[in-house]
Amino acid sequence: MKPSSRGYSGPLEQISPCCWRIPRDYKPGMRVEGRIYADAELIKQIRQDPAPEQVANVAFLPGIQTASLAMPDIHWGYGFCIGGVCATDPNEGGVISPGGVGYDINCGVRLVRSNLTFRDVQPRLDLLVDQLFENVPTGVGRGGKYHFQPNKLRRLLGEGSQFLHTRGQATDRDVQHTEAGGRLAEADPDRVSERAVERGYDQCGTLGSGNHFLEVQVVDQICDETAARAMGLAKDVVCVMIHSGSRGLGYQVCDDALRSLRGAPEKYGIDLPDRQLACAPIDSPEGRTYLGAMRAAANFAWCNRQLLMWQAREVFQKVFGQTWEQLDMNLVYDVAHNIAKFERHVVDGQEKKLWVHRKGATRAFPPGHPETPAEYQDVGQPVLIPGDMGRASWVLVGQPGSMAETFGSACHGAGRVMSRKAAVRQAQGRRIDAELRGQGIVARARSWKGLAEEQPTAYKDVDLVVQVVHQAGLARKVARLRPIGVIKG
Amino acid sequence: MYQIFEHTADLGIRIEAEDLNTLFAEAGRALFSIIVTNVDAVHPIEQVEFNISGTDREFLLCDWLSELLFAFEKRRLLLTEFTVDVQEQGLSATARGETVDTRRHRLEHEVKAVTYHGLKVEETDDRWIAEVIVDI
Repeated sequence: MKPSSRGYSGPLEQISPCCWRIPRDYKPGMRVEGRIYADAELIKQIRQDPAPEQVANVAFLPGIQTASLAMPDIHWGYGFCIGGVCATDPNEGGVISPGGVGYDINCGVRLVRSNLTFRDVQPRLDLLVDQLFENVPTGVGRGGKYHFQPNKLRRLLGEGSQFLHTRGQATDRDVQHTEAGGRLAEADPDRVSERAVERGYDQCGTLGSGNHFLEVQVVDQICDETAARAMGLAKDVVCVMIHSGSRGLGYQVCDDALRSLRGAPEKYGIDLPDRQLACAPIDSPEGRTYLGAMRAAANFAWCNRQLLMWQAREVFQKVFGQTWEQLDMNLVYDVAHNIAKFERHVVDGQEKKLWVHRKGATRAFPPGHPETPAEYQDVGQPVLIPGDMGRASWVLVGQPGSMAETFGSACHGAGRVMSRKAAVRQAQGRRIDAELRGQGIVARARSWKGLAEEQPTAYKDVDLVVQVVHQAGLARKVARLRPIGVIKG
Repeated sequence: MYQIFEHTADLGIRIEAEDLNTLFAEAGRALFSIIVTNVDAVHPIEQVEFNISGTDREFLLCDWLSELLFAFEKRRLLLTEFTVDVQEQGLSATARGETVDTRRHRLEHEVKAVTYHGLKVEETDDRWIAEVIVDI
């Protein structure tokens, strides 16, 4: 489909304060309805974007369960909108669709806390950000210092964070506080093409560019004392948030899969309103190849974020003259927001094993879920929501509402509202880094244009997005963090 | 002739040319204009040959640009001059450029992939038009 400058003009029926329905009879071929989580204000913005049309299109996918879902940070993407969640049942001809994961497989976020406060860090903030910028590789076409020989890379792709643990580059706690223990089982490194390996072999431990970042943040506001305490968060505590994914390796795995699926819909008799929804049955040669490769790419991304964190810890050691263990720089949690997995969910009173796609959406498991680490069992799985670099990021915890309504999912970020070109035009004659400094934020970036494109006004207000998720009972607010230092590629 | 057009999260390329060969050549230059800001600072001192098969012109455009992207990622090559010959079964091309020199070349965007979104290669009365969106 071609993007429409007129946005979406189809039906949106409000079914609850934070949920809007696209009825199933909107387009012949929709197997389920569409549901968009938003409040009355956000839905006006969402209507200006063609993304709701994509929510309706995803409803065509074979085996789709309950509804085609979208989170309040929705904006349009390739086939699937960003902020989309879709679960398919393999027993009902359910399909996998690489567009439902995205090019950046396992793009995600991790949050590291410390025992430093804002007052400890502020006198050395410029030095800290400079050192992070020097020592954490960022930017276009830049490899990092970790190069893996083919046999080691194969192990990394198969074992994820657990491989780094064997090398002393991840602690037990790091692994336990990573979604899925930093490893999707049944990853198949042999399904990752040579081209993908060539693109990514020297990029593990590099940030990349675009909207990826490493931020030094301060806890600004606590909304849930108990949950915050469980995570080691309190007002004025300094944290590091890292946003990055599977780098060139993952992008190529997605590209390879889309190429292999060019003729798949016709081959499997699947009628699609948009060829970007290219898909195949989960249990097909194309499906199995993608599953194996995608899981390997996801493992690569967890290793990437682990090594980025490792390098950040080393910088803090150097700047503050204590070991990272002495600084209590513990991993709060790591979440994926571009991924697909088998999970058990209840549909019409029946528990099923479903293939859940989250593209720009974060898992949000409630208290008591077996996959939640032990110290969060009573409070719920941490949900990390990065905002833009000028305003705030949020930590939430998953709630039972997510399991009831969204296959255990919540939003992933603020969502863009302005195109890159428009953001650059708006930034003409302005020094974005100087403006941020005026707000007390030290920013270093590889390019002016990169910073301009990522300026705060290019994004929705994350406070509003998070409020919807909170109000809808999908996840509960725990803490708000504000940036004080940013490095970007 | 090419221009970069609006897209919420990524960048689109629109190309117009008198013939198909020039269309594909311009598309290549447009891709590298997204990767490196000062594309005119790239000297055509190295040469690479490409041969890509495919009968669907839109997929061929996507594959062509993907090969160029891979040449950049693997060999750090910036390619900005192209001689392209598009036939029924695919294309052959010679591309000229040089490896990245960070003292002279300002790298701006990391292109994750060339997407199929809004992919178009069309012939009108007097020209060829193509559109493609790249994921940033």
